Amino acid sequence: MIRGAWTRWKSRWGSMRTLHDERGRLVWSVMLEALRDRRARRGRVHERPAAAPPAPGPQETGRWIAAVYAKEMLEAVRDRRTLVVMIVLPAVFMPLATLGIPYLAQRQQHRLQSVTPNVAVVGEAPGLIHTAYTTGLITPVRARDPVDALRRRRVLAVLRIPPRFDAILARDGQAHVGLLYDTSDPESVAARGRVVELISRYSQQIVARRLAARHLNPRDLLPVVLDERNVATERQLSGLLLASLLPFFIAMWAVVGGMSVAVDLAAGEKERGTLESLLVTPPSREAIVIGKFLSVITASMGAVIVVLITMMISLRWGYPYLLHTTKKLDVSLPLGTAVVMLGVALLFSALVSAIQLAISIFARSPREAHQYITPLYFVTVLPALAVQFISEWQRSGWAYLVPALNAFFAFRELLLGTVNWGHLVLAAVSSAFYAALALEVAIALTSRESVIFRT
Amino acid sequence: MPGHEVLVEAMDLHKQFRSFYAVRGVSFHCYAGEVFGLLGPNGAGKTTTIRMLTTVLRPTAGTARVAGHDVVREPAEVRRAIGVLPENAGVYGRLTPRDLIRYFGRLYGVPADALDRRLRDISEALDLGPHLDRLTDTFSKGMKQKVNIARALIHNPRVVFLDEPTSGLDVLSARSVREFVLGFKQEGRCVILSTHIMEEAERLCDRVAIIADGRVRAEGRLADLKARTGMGLEEIFVQLVERAVV
Repeated sequence: MIRGAWTRWKSRWGSMRTLHDERGRLVWSVMLEALRDRRARRGRVHERPAAAPPAPGPQETGRWIAAVYAKEMLEAVRDRRTLVVMIVLPAVFMPLATLGIPYLAQRQQHRLQSVTPNVAVVGEAPGLIHTAYTTGLITPVRARDPVDALRRRRVLAVLRIPPRFDAILARDGQAHVGLLYDTSDPESVAARGRVVELISRYSQQIVARRLAARHLNPRDLLPVVLDERNVATERQLSGLLLASLLPFFIAMWAVVGGMSVAVDLAAGEKERGTLESLLVTPPSREAIVIGKFLSVITASMGAVIVVLITMMISLRWGYPYLLHTTKKLDVSLPLGTAVVMLGVALLFSALVSAIQLAISIFARSPREAHQYITPLYFVTVLPALAVQFISEWQRSGWAYLVPALNAFFAFRELLLGTVNWGHLVLAAVSSAFYAALALEVAIALTSRESVIFRT
Repeated sequence: MPGHEVLVEAMDLHKQFRSFYAVRGVSFHCYAGEVFGLLGPNGAGKTTTIRMLTTVLRPTAGTARVAGHDVVREPAEVRRAIGVLPENAGVYGRLTPRDLIRYFGRLYGVPADALDRRLRDISEALDLGPHLDRLTDTFSKGMKQKVNIARALIHNPRVVFLDEPTSGLDVLSARSVREFVLGFKQEGRCVILSTHIMEEAERLCDRVAIIADGRVRAEGRLADLKARTGMGLEEIFVQLVERAVV
């Protein structure tokens, strides 16, 4: 191709030089030659029109679908937006969401635990103050206006000691100490916890003294002692963690991953003025819509798979590295579970893709399509969040007939290891049915004049 | 043109959009090897007529035959036989002309070897050769139009519909498109060309139908029309259109 252009350019340049050198008659001969050359080339285009080709069969429909799919994927791959949304965003966003947020939460927790809070003490209690220093639970301070100091965050809590505190305790009495703190401030709440701990330890000291004075054993106060043991395995714990994260992220990226492709390949065709050119070609509306649908589902599943991989990697290797946890997590999916999960995700993605495509075909412009698809995003993502709080529905069969919800329940069962194959089949069949229905709507819309020329 | 095959035959076409009649009774026929012009002001019903003939709109009443097939009963056969350049047609910006023309070739079922040969010939004829591998996003309007013409012709159609093919093009681009259209006549293609540019009609069309308000006001050979009325095409046009409005 390039060599052809170069040869043509060279010969043109050559003839121009001749033209410049000899002028006159040569000019005309060169121009005539160029003209003849042009006509000769044109003659080849204008070969006799072809006779009508053979009628379409299933094989031809397959070729049409393949042609539409190949072209849409080529366009999608050349669109940077698609690649960013499909690969870069999930690859960056997922580790941030799965690790970054818990990391920040843990860091704050850690800070609250390591810092000894200033607590204003009002009144006299030398014994208690001494315990406070020896345990290092709080730093007792004096304040002229303790309530104001609390409001200005100079102290995080105020401890009010009643008058004659030590005397009451010495007489084996009961003393009430007051505590002021602020629930709107996590640091103040943490300080409260430390004061509660301090009071409890101080009380224990006094109890021990009183019992000793009466020659009693502290054990006599605790006739029954509870020994607890957690039987959940690491696999079950990680299953619970995954069950609270995966359905939400699969739902989110199934919608977001296919969105820009769906909008571009139908509403975008209207905007660019290419739709009519496409609709006057031989492929049936079914072939065109199915080819486009396959492109949307490819983008959607591409994002889902990228999300699953980055999330598993970040949980498996990032979790123990970033988070100081006493529990070890076994974050892995057995191959069988992973395959079934991808199958369910595919059916869910098929439904979402078909709906997005139908919306995009209906919309006047990409802008309008985006406006319609945004609510769809919330409608699908909300059940994914809610599903862990309505687990009682999980036991009834009808929940596996509700679009979107059925896929999320199926994910939960798979991740928690409580698989009911009847439920899975129900979810798969109903999801496939809804996806086919949405696709049928998309095809019907493509055949409607008022929709195609809705501008 | 006696002796020539009739390739397009519109029979009393009507089209109603809700309460609005866009086309109310358009009939004409065109032969192989001629350029037939649909002339009319904006909103006269030219584009609607072409959309019915190219099977994207279904006539409310009447029908048409294109390349021997009924547009309502056999739309798939009609689509195989026609090449269409719709009004204000765009291109896929992230494809090169080569990708785009090949895509349409595959949609039309052109075999791979024939497709490459035809792509080469058409792009040379339209001077697209050096630009075949650039993204069409960077093209001028004239270049985009050439790409669209190339993709409409990739399957070597017998009937070609061109809806305002030179609208919005600069003088040079419009001229090269017109030259290309003139070439169609020689090898027996039937071209239906809609335009509101009288000069274009006079240069390209063998016969014309003047459409106004959804009806054909006059039809015939350009020379006959002029001889019958003793007027130039533009005057004939203006008179007919004004009468339609009244």
